[in-house]
Amino acid sequence: MDITVKTQGTDLISRLAQMFENVIHQGHGSLALVFLIGIIFGGIIQYTRVDKFEKIAGFAMLKDTIVPKMLFLAVGLTSIGLYFMIEAGYAHYHIKPIIWQGLLVGGALFGISMAIFGKCPGTGPVSIAEGRIDVLVGAIGGLFGGLVFTLYYDDFFKPLMGESLGKLTLPSFFPGHEHVVALIFGVAVTLIAIVIPKIELFDEADLSQLPDDQRPDK
Amino acid sequence: MARLPWWMGGILMAGLLLMTFSVFGADRPIGASTYVPYFADIIFDLDPEKYSYLKHIENPGAWEGVMLLGALVGGFITSVFITKSFRFSLVPSGWKKYKNDSVLSRLLWSFFAGFIMIIGARLAGGCTSGHFMSGMSQMAISSMIFGTVVMIALIITGKLFYNTKDK
Repeated sequence: MDITVKTQGTDLISRLAQMFENVIHQGHGSLALVFLIGIIFGGIIQYTRVDKFEKIAGFAMLKDTIVPKMLFLAVGLTSIGLYFMIEAGYAHYHIKPIIWQGLLVGGALFGISMAIFGKCPGTGPVSIAEGRIDVLVGAIGGLFGGLVFTLYYDDFFKPLMGESLGKLTLPSFFPGHEHVVALIFGVAVTLIAIVIPKIELFDEADLSQLPDDQRPDK
Repeated sequence: MARLPWWMGGILMAGLLLMTFSVFGADRPIGASTYVPYFADIIFDLDPEKYSYLKHIENPGAWEGVMLLGALVGGFITSVFITKSFRFSLVPSGWKKYKNDSVLSRLLWSFFAGFIMIIGARLAGGCTSGHFMSGMSQMAISSMIFGTVVMIALIITGKLFYNTKDK
């Protein structure tokens, strides 16, 4: 039996249906796989508690280092595996271009807002899923940000981002030594993750829900 | 164990990134900021033919949109059944301790920060997921620039915005 979904309209439901249809046809994994990647992504972030205000704003205040430790470890391990996967043809590069103005202005705005919000676009939805209303309000702010960006992209934001200087990677600066550079980078970033001292800012409101023997602060 | 240690989180996240990057997975990086303008355009009913940015983000926006729905489900499941941290709340404990007790203050700052966060991420072309995790894993120079600028801005803001002295 064929199931027909009306995906031509411009109303909300049709456009959401178009989103699923797009993912089915764009060739970046099946719809189920993309959804599963999301479930695992949300699960890892929630289970490690790095979506918490105390972890992200806590890092901004230098009172918690779980976020940088986990980020650097993930980057270090992935960079080694990914480099050799790409060499073997099992993955491809998806490098973002060097656009100086966009990176400097965008990075500064992003860092400022991350410190105030205590969330980022990946951890925010996870916090909403565990009932944080203030983050939902921030997400609505984000939707307006996305709207403004779309509306004024051609006239304002695109010129502000500046010219692309290409998609460079670190190993490309060391021709002939790419393998060594990739290994050194991966090991160095992993070591950074281990060397950063572990400091934690706990949230009693969460910990009080747990049995005594499961509290990470004990 | 009501919480995964950071090293376990890092290893699992590396596994997820490699699976997503591989040709057997999605053959693309993980990103988590393009879905926001994508959803904004759906909610505010913007015409894709009229706005070039919308055309530009059609595929990554849809992909991340579906991934985000999964992330909501994943986060909900672990918060209810494992970490037991699901609860409705308006002001984080850390905000009360280092900023103020005002609900209005937290909500206004959240809205403002959410707004400039998405503008910033879209200007730079990525966020913590797309630039920091996926980009730095490919040793991309652009992502290293982004990561450095974000870290500096984050720590300066943390110092100036919160009252962290003698606490």
